[in-house]
Amino acid sequence: MTLKFFDKIHVEFPIKKIYSRLGFVQGVTQVNEEIDQKIENYISKAELLLDLKGSFLRLPVIKKNSSTINLANNIKLKSIRLAKMLENSSEVVFMGATAGAKIVKEISLDSRGRDVTGAVIFDAVASEFTDAALEWIAKYINSELRRENKILTTRRFSAGYADFTLKNQKIIYESLQMKKLGVDLTEAFILKPEKTVMAVAGIGLINDA
Amino acid sequence: MMHKNMESMNNIFKKRVVILDGATGTQLQKLGMPQGVCPEKWCLENPQLIQKVHAEYSKSGADIIYSATFGANRIKLKQYGISDVKSINKQLARYAKKAVKDKCFVAGDIGPTGKFIEPFGSLGFEDAVNIFKEQVKGLLEGGVDIFVIETMMDIQEARAALIAVREISDKFTIVTLTYEKNGLTLNGTDPISALITLQSLGANAVGCNCSSGPLQMLNLIKKIKPYAKIPIVAKPNAGMPKLINGKTVFNMPAEEFGKIGKKLVSCGVNFLGGCCGTAPEHIFALKKQLAGLKPVLPLRDAISAVSSATAHVMLEGKSLPLVKVGECINPTGKKELQKQLKAGKLALVRTLAKQQADKGAKLLDVNVGVSNIDEKKTIVKVISCLAQITRLPLVIDSSKIEAVEQALRIYPGRALINSISAEKHKLKKLLPLAVKYGAMFILLPLTEQEVPKTFKRRKQIILKIFKTAKQYGCKKADVVVDGLILTVSSNPRAAIETMKTIRWAAGNFRVNTICGLSNISFGMPQRALLNATFRRILRKEGLSMVIDNPLHPLSRYNRYAEGVLLAKDKNSAEYVKYCKKLEGYPKINEKNTEKIKEDNPAKKVYNAILEGSREDIAVYVRHAIKKQIDPEKLVRESMIPAINHVGFLYEKKEYFLPQLIASAEAMKSAFFVLAPYLKQEKEKKVKQAVVVLATVKGDIHDIGKNIVALMLKNYGFKVIDLGKDVSSSKIIKAAKKYKAALIGLSALMTTTMVNMQEVIARAKKENLGCGFMVGGAVVNKSFANSIEAEYASNGVEAVRLAQKFITRGK
Repeated sequence: MTLKFFDKIHVEFPIKKIYSRLGFVQGVTQVNEEIDQKIENYISKAELLLDLKGSFLRLPVIKKNSSTINLANNIKLKSIRLAKMLENSSEVVFMGATAGAKIVKEISLDSRGRDVTGAVIFDAVASEFTDAALEWIAKYINSELRRENKILTTRRFSAGYADFTLKNQKIIYESLQMKKLGVDLTEAFILKPEKTVMAVAGIGLINDA
Repeated sequence: MMHKNMESMNNIFKKRVVILDGATGTQLQKLGMPQGVCPEKWCLENPQLIQKVHAEYSKSGADIIYSATFGANRIKLKQYGISDVKSINKQLARYAKKAVKDKCFVAGDIGPTGKFIEPFGSLGFEDAVNIFKEQVKGLLEGGVDIFVIETMMDIQEARAALIAVREISDKFTIVTLTYEKNGLTLNGTDPISALITLQSLGANAVGCNCSSGPLQMLNLIKKIKPYAKIPIVAKPNAGMPKLINGKTVFNMPAEEFGKIGKKLVSCGVNFLGGCCGTAPEHIFALKKQLAGLKPVLPLRDAISAVSSATAHVMLEGKSLPLVKVGECINPTGKKELQKQLKAGKLALVRTLAKQQADKGAKLLDVNVGVSNIDEKKTIVKVISCLAQITRLPLVIDSSKIEAVEQALRIYPGRALINSISAEKHKLKKLLPLAVKYGAMFILLPLTEQEVPKTFKRRKQIILKIFKTAKQYGCKKADVVVDGLILTVSSNPRAAIETMKTIRWAAGNFRVNTICGLSNISFGMPQRALLNATFRRILRKEGLSMVIDNPLHPLSRYNRYAEGVLLAKDKNSAEYVKYCKKLEGYPKINEKNTEKIKEDNPAKKVYNAILEGSREDIAVYVRHAIKKQIDPEKLVRESMIPAINHVGFLYEKKEYFLPQLIASAEAMKSAFFVLAPYLKQEKEKKVKQAVVVLATVKGDIHDIGKNIVALMLKNYGFKVIDLGKDVSSSKIIKAAKKYKAALIGLSALMTTTMVNMQEVIARAKKENLGCGFMVGGAVVNKSFANSIEAEYASNGVEAVRLAQKFITRGK
């Protein structure tokens, strides 16, 4: 049940996903070289503002039924859909990643009129990098699990999804000690800086063929 | 009885494929090792069982078995409360030796610590080296024959482990990294860069293990083989895990594994075994399939290439494009950079690195030499920063030997040293460092006593330095000869002697060559002309690399400049005359001239909006006003049709979001210029329609709402933007105060979108008589309908909806 922090996460540049998030459609969207260069410059600037960090925690399942999962540390999660996803899992992983406050501050200032074009590009860059950072953490966990003959569920769940209420954000947030990564949780259970994601996944065994 | 030393291992792999063992963990689990225990401790407590696993692999045909010490480092063992690292490694190595009874080699297995090493993580580099040294010492005491560093996902951790081995032992050492589906390690290192880095650092065999099955490894092996001067290793899983009947399994049968093993060997694998999911039968199948098969030996004995953690640059061959080394990270003559470096700030370093990469630099020269600075500390800091933000390999440029050493030690790639001259102390200290860390180096042909003016003398010095370097084990591929450029203004033959040096070094001596171009033109007018012309001349002579400023625009070849460089223009008279003529012309800014040359300024304004030229549009609008174009007509007939067309292109997806927003911002800039002229017009008109915009209570996401605000303003709406996390009462109050025709609400969360309903209910209760428009990531049309609002999925739709409301209202 060791909580693991990643102070610096390095991910492959998700350039295709950034363009796709901005609405680029291969073969349809037409961008001339000058505009393309401008966009690339914005993306380069955005990259310098990112501060990708994250953490994860493995928790053994103590007890579970079709709607409730009891984990170590007296954690109780209620959700039929989550329980279904975790039906073959003996352990659960909480994981979280953030793009940091710097880029979110820039997005906020730019989108108020200073440079809205920059804001939408920074926003897409931050979102995609945060998702990529969470994906990176999942890969890291899998590389550790492989040696134990275990594997992470391919699906993940976030608070606020289906019947897994947003209130659960608090449990995950506190378990992951996201405060140490500079992340706050508002009274409405929203993560600040807003380019922060958290998720729950299960751990299962790799069986003999 | 086999000989267990490096020499014998080198002989074996030349004759046949060396077979490695298979998975240990799964075998131990089959023998009863429970989940969640410390495997190393369990092996110590059950020596007969781990010895059984080793013996089975040996019996199946493995030439090398790995000791059960994968996680036997201080950090991993600490998680189980174990601190006696040395003794646990020693004992487990002994069990392995005892199990195989000299029938095969025992490799001391070193796995990752689970921490990332600086500059990619928080574990100090020297701490990591010491952690691995502790393990290496224990394994040596246990009598291992060779070392294997495996399943590394961080190139820096692999380097730390390899340095730890190399500083204690010269035993044969294998290093394998684990690559994800995208062909990169988790930290983004590609297999070629890893190979270049690790083989130059002293690994005896490099390759990959775990993560993928043998089929997936084929491509990876094909990629790296051409760059390897050492044998290649593969230790794949038994296929990829598959979900069968609700269970995840590795299901590649041993026979199939063996057959694909044959393909791996034909692609160049020299050491082959199995990882997760493999068992002794897989190793037996390999042995059977590979019997009598001739291995493909390394295809080269040296390589001219440098690498970073995530990329590499090949420096071989004259036909390659000239490799540009960016020189801007050098504080000489740069006050701001000096100031920042002294203050320990790296913002400018980061920017310069990015800018140079964008302008085509392939390598970055790093020099932090400022008076009264701790150069050793500063260069480590700068290199750690650059290793994270740029993929470009680095050139370590320092006159301080200890700074070069520290930089090479922590740099997570193969660096280029700038430079090693014939100065005795440099030769004596820098050459061993270059060899230890596997760096390439720039050979600078000068001595303590002289800066040689002639090619003849330079050649003598080059040969002398190389002779010494060769004694340390350097090859020509490790060297880049500097053509030594002196200034043509003080020595008219300076360029010719450099040309001769480059011609000989590239053509006869057959090494890579480099020049710091800008020296040639020092003290001359129009330096860019001379530099560009000399660059072209030297390229013809075989120059392969150039150090210059990629941020300066490249000038063109010039025949007057050539006259100076080839010493045909006496006292540079013709060139100076030509330059004076050039200086006599007024400066031409082509773009500006073209801007006002256009006869149809309204069309220019239209195009500027279409192209999102926020910077240019103000010039065009002012020009239109100067040409007496009616401002209102300009808006009506050029700007509105332009932004409408942008919206049309956006909806057809021919434009994407940045283009839509850039156009909207260009429109906004145009309005800013037009504002004083439109004021008089506005007074005559009816009042603008008001839209109140807000992100609802509890929600802090507002970029979508800000885009809608920008778009609406461009269409002449008066927008009251209340910001984010706004209570319903504040929204109602504003709608009343400004007599809003429309309330626009945004939400990004399912939990906050319910607050939209509250606003609408209250507005209706108070009979505000306005329309409602909602949007945001989680909102859709059916939700909007359910709360009696209209739905806008983007800024363009929001404008259309707002226009519809106003028309309906009228």
